[in-house]
Amino acid sequence: MNYFVFRNNTVERFFPKDYAFSGYGDISSVPAEADGYIWFYQLPVKYNEGQLCGQVRGYARQLEFVLSLVDPAKPFILFTMDSGLAVPFASGVDLMAAVAEYNAALLALERGYSNVKLLDISEFTRRYPASELFDWKFWFISQMGFSPHLSKPFAEWFARKLDQIASRRKKCLVLDLDNTLWGGVLGEDGVEEIKLGGDYPGKAFHLFQEGLLELKRSGIMLAVCSKNNEADVLDVWERHPDMVLRADSFVAWRINWTDKATGIRELANELNIGLDSIVFVDDSPSEQELVRQALPEVEVPDFPSQPYELPAFLKSLVEKYFRIYTVTAEDAAKTEQYKANALRAQSQREFVDFDAFLRSLEIKITIEAADEFNIPRIAQLTQKTNQFNLTTRRYTESDIRQFLQRGWKIWCLSVSDKFGDDGITGCAMVDGSAIDTFLLSCRILGKGIEFVFAKQVLSLLKEQGIKTVSAEYVPTAKNGLASGFWKAVGFKDNIIDLDAADLSIKDYYQVIIK
Amino acid sequence: MEDKVLSILKELFELDTVDETCSQKTCGKWDSMGQLNLAVELEEAFDVELEPEEIGEMRSFGDIIELLTKKCRNSAKYC
Repeated sequence: MNYFVFRNNTVERFFPKDYAFSGYGDISSVPAEADGYIWFYQLPVKYNEGQLCGQVRGYARQLEFVLSLVDPAKPFILFTMDSGLAVPFASGVDLMAAVAEYNAALLALERGYSNVKLLDISEFTRRYPASELFDWKFWFISQMGFSPHLSKPFAEWFARKLDQIASRRKKCLVLDLDNTLWGGVLGEDGVEEIKLGGDYPGKAFHLFQEGLLELKRSGIMLAVCSKNNEADVLDVWERHPDMVLRADSFVAWRINWTDKATGIRELANELNIGLDSIVFVDDSPSEQELVRQALPEVEVPDFPSQPYELPAFLKSLVEKYFRIYTVTAEDAAKTEQYKANALRAQSQREFVDFDAFLRSLEIKITIEAADEFNIPRIAQLTQKTNQFNLTTRRYTESDIRQFLQRGWKIWCLSVSDKFGDDGITGCAMVDGSAIDTFLLSCRILGKGIEFVFAKQVLSLLKEQGIKTVSAEYVPTAKNGLASGFWKAVGFKDNIIDLDAADLSIKDYYQVIIK
Repeated sequence: MEDKVLSILKELFELDTVDETCSQKTCGKWDSMGQLNLAVELEEAFDVELEPEEIGEMRSFGDIIELLTKKCRNSAKYC
């Protein structure tokens, strides 16, 4: 599966090498050839809480927009957002609310679209203290929202989640009794002496049974396979005051002295389900091993050695085998209702198409001539920019000063929107009437800014009396996405006639020339 | 140390063969993302913390060895 990842930070290292990635916060293109999609937006780094909340809420609307464009037959995985990074200057309540709303919006989308699966990122992040999860050094040098040193455990966790999404939910949990549903051995200790309810460890088994009862209510069949005297067990089920699970909690049982592999096979036949729909839970490692070998289709998790570990064990059982990732037939009616709600929400959205989205961003583009303050940044951009770089010529600061002395026109580009300022993120260098260098940082792609910048540069040249301008595209291994750019601007065979060219710019970009 | 660095370069940049001449210029996959991954792998393999300036200056096998030698000497570490 080749997934395409929509993201707002650097996350390449966390995913398999064959995945493709959007620009930062870029929803302008949705590649149709991807096998599936991932939405992985992290809490932006920003101290202004109002702006931050607006940005987080905006992400949810952008996701809805993207979802409306993709093939509903393809899987779309959403990651929730973790607010652990936030700096709570005041109460932090607004931000907590914004992140909670964002996550709730994702949950609603999972319910409204059958191809959407939600992964709770906190399942991964809660394993780490904040200082390990995030590393300011890598934030500043690479805009990474998680420490890159966590990429391996993340990749393992994510791979397991993908497996769980792909595999079908198990249907039946087959349980042992002694030391599994209660402490002690019924045949030896007797019904009064088994440990169930009361103080620890009995209360741990009692809580475990309460969890199992909820699992049954969620639609999982419970069954029993135990080496015991059936009459003794029926007596416990009927008489023990702290037994949560009773005879009617189980769809079937095999309580006898035959081997458990045979018992489980019989249960599968009786219930008319496949062995691959069964999870078998037993405290005895030898019974586990027997079933693993005799019935490899049956899932047999390791059982915890201490009763206090039962709650964590139940949680892992649910996460691994019994979580609902796909909408089942029973949920269909509910789903229709959610869909209607989603549609309503859609019509109330702030933007309904891409132009409206761009307009909502309040993009401000500043173009200024090269000077002593910005030359270092311009040189750096020529050194570092690979993707949207038409000629990939690398220059030093002194190169740029010499070009200026020779009369080259050099401009740099700054972009800001209502969510913040990206600073200088593009430059154009023109030798006479030939564009030598034209580049934009990939950070700002996806908002049509490259066209605004090119047209403004051409307008500035036109004002200076230039009639035709030439430009070229020099292909490299990295700059394929810019290959059609000059043609899209209006160049024919690398030449544009400025009198005939359409140099108009959409009115929602505010352009400032300095 | 040299062998460990070479094997990191080979694996990270998916090279068939690798030697002491390996540098950003000769190695197509050694781009900015590659640079980041390289820094992370070196930090993990040699248990060092590389500063942003040091990461920025690593452009060849020789640079890496020079940097790691300095880092390990300063921390009295055997690499």
